[in-house]
Amino acid sequence: MPDRADARDVTDAVAAHDTHTETDATAGGARTAPPAVRVQGLWKRFGEQVAVSGIDLELPAGKFIGLVGPNGAGKTTTLSMVTGLLRPDMGKIEVAGHDVWTDPVAVKSRIGVLPEGLRLFERLSGRELLAYNGRLRGLPGDEVDKRAAQLLDVLDLAGSQHKLVVDYSTGMRKKIGLAAALLHNPEVLFLDEPFEGVDPVSAQTIRGVLERYTRSGATVVFSSHVMELVESLCDWVAVMAAGRIKAQGTLAEVRGDAPSLQNAFLELVGAGGRDTTGDSLDWLGGAR
Amino acid sequence: MSVLDAPVTAAAPAAPTTGLTPIFVRLKLTLLRNGLRQSTGRRTAFIVSLVLTLLLAAGQVLGLVLLRGNAQAGTVVVLLTAVVALGWAVLPLFFPSGDDTLDPTRLVMLPLRPEPLVRALLVSSMVGIGPLFTLCLVVGSVLALAHGFAGIVFAVLAVPLTMLLCVALSRAVATANVRLLNSRKGRDLAVLSGLVIAVGIQFVNFGAQRLGEAGGLSSLEPAGNVARWLPGASAIASVDAASDGSYGVAVAQLLITGAALAALVWLWQRGLVKLMTTPDGSTLAAAAPDRKESGRTGGLSGLLPEGRTGTVVQRSLRYVARDPKTKAAWVTSLALGAIVPLINAVQGTGSVYLACFAAGMLGMLMYNQFGQDTSAFWMVALTISSTRDAYVELRARACALLLITLPYTLLVCAVTAAVLGRWQSLPGALGLSFALLGAMMATGAVASALFPYSIPQDGAFKNAAPGQGGLAWISILLGMLAALLLAAPVIVLTVWLHLTDRQEALWVVIPVGVAYGTFIGWAGLRIAAPRTANRLPEILTAVSKG
Repeated sequence: MPDRADARDVTDAVAAHDTHTETDATAGGARTAPPAVRVQGLWKRFGEQVAVSGIDLELPAGKFIGLVGPNGAGKTTTLSMVTGLLRPDMGKIEVAGHDVWTDPVAVKSRIGVLPEGLRLFERLSGRELLAYNGRLRGLPGDEVDKRAAQLLDVLDLAGSQHKLVVDYSTGMRKKIGLAAALLHNPEVLFLDEPFEGVDPVSAQTIRGVLERYTRSGATVVFSSHVMELVESLCDWVAVMAAGRIKAQGTLAEVRGDAPSLQNAFLELVGAGGRDTTGDSLDWLGGAR
Repeated sequence: MSVLDAPVTAAAPAAPTTGLTPIFVRLKLTLLRNGLRQSTGRRTAFIVSLVLTLLLAAGQVLGLVLLRGNAQAGTVVVLLTAVVALGWAVLPLFFPSGDDTLDPTRLVMLPLRPEPLVRALLVSSMVGIGPLFTLCLVVGSVLALAHGFAGIVFAVLAVPLTMLLCVALSRAVATANVRLLNSRKGRDLAVLSGLVIAVGIQFVNFGAQRLGEAGGLSSLEPAGNVARWLPGASAIASVDAASDGSYGVAVAQLLITGAALAALVWLWQRGLVKLMTTPDGSTLAAAAPDRKESGRTGGLSGLLPEGRTGTVVQRSLRYVARDPKTKAAWVTSLALGAIVPLINAVQGTGSVYLACFAAGMLGMLMYNQFGQDTSAFWMVALTISSTRDAYVELRARACALLLITLPYTLLVCAVTAAVLGRWQSLPGALGLSFALLGAMMATGAVASALFPYSIPQDGAFKNAAPGQGGLAWISILLGMLAALLLAAPVIVLTVWLHLTDRQEALWVVIPVGVAYGTFIGWAGLRIAAPRTANRLPEILTAVSKG
């Protein structure tokens, strides 16, 4: 780990330390696991607009990691580039020690992805979608069917497994997408807004599955702008705003002295002081 | 003043009944203007369609005025009006999202009474290109028919009545079907309408040719006599009757249109009230019983090989059966591929070689393979990590296509040969078809990798996302030219066998065509595979615009 020596800040040092303990616990300390994701100098520009401006990121393995930021911060763009779905203008990305763009075989077999704003093959039933996805990934047919049945069961989709995905609700789509992402038992799972538009019952189901999955030593990276959720789920957080990383580290470090992650976040993205008590809306709630 | 301001400030307690009509007309104009401001593409499309409509309308008015005095003028004009009225009734089913102001579900939260609402909607429906076109037609029609004072009086009444009837008809039909149009099944239906029109044009063309042979316009007279008493056209027919002096008939015909208009407005209003005061149907769909496990491709899946090939073939075939856009493309290709050679054969003008048209039409389905996936292509992209993966993916898609295309080509060639009774040319047509299919697979695979574009999922006639239409056309046109060039050796062989009068040796073309087509197809996939594997993010971006 050449980078370890010149750890840039406390954050990295702590992350590295955490990685060590995790590795020791799961692999008996036989070797040092590379970080789940390492990003260096990542840039992406769409026309005039810079979506991601030179970010560096090092996400420790075996953690539940939250990528938080306001709408338009560049979270989706970053995750798309990290998962190989969008080509960066510049920068280097490694997942589990393998370069995303020069070693796609190693990376694609190790990651599971639930993107936001991209469709699924909606004219397949939930079960057919899993069967399709698992076989494309090269798993044996019997194994795919066994895993699919269990996933559908756990995610509470067994009753709708023969319905076309096009007729699924938002929560059901997220769940079937999650099942497709988990089917090949990936090392790192990338979820873009997995709880957006999801009802509390489905959210709890998703949560349960993810917590169980990280306990096995796998890494979950998910983006969200709901701070309460991130605070209750994650043990590691990266804050993004306007295409830059504003902070990264354990939950306690990023929160610092602030009473909640929400406050710390508003402070970090520079939206803490917006005044809504002024007299610009003085008619609201006045005499009718 | 914005629409939002209107009810809140003054008239919140009482419904704003007065002045609702101007608000709706202004809303319609604002929506039109903002829609045009959104993109240059939309602006261009609007201006082009406006100019085309005006040109067409002007031509029509001119044609109708020239008809004045012709013995068949009445019949032609009445039938024309009837067809336009029918069009008004049918079009909202095919273009459900054409007009936001007319979607009553957007108005549910506003405090509006039914009568003023219907009045306002009726008047605002008169704004647009469609009504303008209809107005030109109706005015042209009465110009062609009206003679004398009585004729003019009836004409003045007939024009607004016919216009109102057309618009009310369209609105009543749309309101009655809004549940269907807002459901997935309804949207699927709208997407399929494209092929109804594509295939319909062929039959209209065929019918027109027949009409030309069968003695001209007078053969239309019986149909015209019926249409004179149908609400859509009877007001126009009354002008004809009044000009001839049969005032009783004229009054009766005018009354028919008037009564029909009243009935339609009543039906429409009732439909509106019901629609806006009962729960939405979208929640009912969720309670529908689950699909049973699909057995349609269940038998086939046992025969398909394990791994990517079988999986992709199965998925592609399921999409042909289930995805409206894919299904529409397939049915159009299958229908046109058979209709063109067969209609020509029935008329005795064709050649067995026209059956190659079927291979050409079906081969076009290989183009833009990844665009057909829409942004769901990411699922494919995430599993392609080598050139080999990309090659197997493309090969499987070609296999799925050939599973349907090969037997169909065989069938079309055989039936065409049977109808023409020229069996000796069948081997040539078959061999050529196979070579052409191979070449189309090859160019289609390369075009899929290099020129992918998005296929919008809504609307029957949008087959490329805004800004990508040119790309779509160029890739298909160049691809087809390239495919013809690639198939040239087999074409030359066939032509040579015919020219040198060696028809008995035409069977050679079959094995040559199969071998050559297979080789070209294989080579095309080989060329396309590395380009696909290297361009995955670019392809995904290109196909995600819809």
